[in-house]
Amino acid sequence: SHSGFPSLFTFAVVEVTEGNTTTIEGRIIEEAEAPPPPNPSGQCPICRWNLKHKYDYVDVLLLSQFIRSDGGMLPRRVTGLCLEEHKKVAVCVQMAHRAGLLPNHRPPLPEGHIAKKPKLNRYLTRWPVRSAKPIWKRGPKWCKKPFPVGHPLLKDNVKYTQKPLCLNH
Amino acid sequence: MASYSRAAQQWATFARAWYLLDAKMQPPGKIAAATVIRLEGRHKPIYHALNDCGDHVVIINTRHIAFSGNKWEQKVYSSHTGYPGGFKQVTATQLHLKDPTAIVKLAVYRMLPKNLQRRTLMQRLHLFPEDVIPEDIEKNLLQEIPQPRAVPKRLDEYTPEEIAAFPKVWTPPKDFRRK
Repeated sequence: SHSGFPSLFTFAVVEVTEGNTTTIEGRIIEEAEAPPPPNPSGQCPICRWNLKHKYDYVDVLLLSQFIRSDGGMLPRRVTGLCLEEHKKVAVCVQMAHRAGLLPNHRPPLPEGHIAKKPKLNRYLTRWPVRSAKPIWKRGPKWCKKPFPVGHPLLKDNVKYTQKPLCLNH
Repeated sequence: MASYSRAAQQWATFARAWYLLDAKMQPPGKIAAATVIRLEGRHKPIYHALNDCGDHVVIINTRHIAFSGNKWEQKVYSSHTGYPGGFKQVTATQLHLKDPTAIVKLAVYRMLPKNLQRRTLMQRLHLFPEDVIPEDIEKNLLQEIPQPRAVPKRLDEYTPEEIAAFPKVWTPPKDFRRK
């Protein structure tokens, strides 16, 4: 909405033309009252809303509340998350970015530079794409080198199936 | 059924069906597991290894499969030409760019039972990189197999009403400068 200098409050710029006078006015947006959380005695937003082990990289509506417009995480002292939840959310946000679920939260590119679209679909990627090296020799059947999938921080998430969560394929 | 003759009843039971499977945003291992069941005929109560009761499976959009984890970079497909110095190792990315159907084909081939039936069952598998299918195959299709993985929605695929209905989990302090 605004560029250049940062501002203290979020406001909307309203331009009104009456006859030969144009009034440009910035109205401070009052954010609507949030509904009360189910567990007001929690320390961080996740505990207050009873989401402790219940979110994943797929829940973009929740994760998008903790990211900047260029995709980076907001600082913990601002969002109020506890350390372990902040790390979990950061990991989920990274996996969501790599899966292509947050297409509009991209860093601004220098002018003229066209972003190239990723050709391959992926999900639950633990490591950055450019840092992963091929596993040339996986080893014999009794000690194969596994492919890491997902993240160990999310291993306590609620499971709705009886199958155990597999972090190494 | 009492009204059909025995020959017609047998013809109908052992008829070969054609199934369609969309591999868009699906992991190739789960796609292969679903197709191998249909190719062998294990989804039928009349299954027997000697019965030859398998069906045809047509897989479309193999170019748009999704690997979990970093398998695109880490998984290596090896082969040997038979000549000395002919050991070739290719990553999944390189193989996919060279031939978009190869990954699913290899996954299905390696999941089928290792017997002489494997080659005939591979002949009943039809792979297409996009959703363009030849007309004669399209006319044969009977049913679509459900996709093994639930594809997640992107943020821009949610309607503004759904985004507004989701509660804000934290409120920013008054002096917060949002970029």
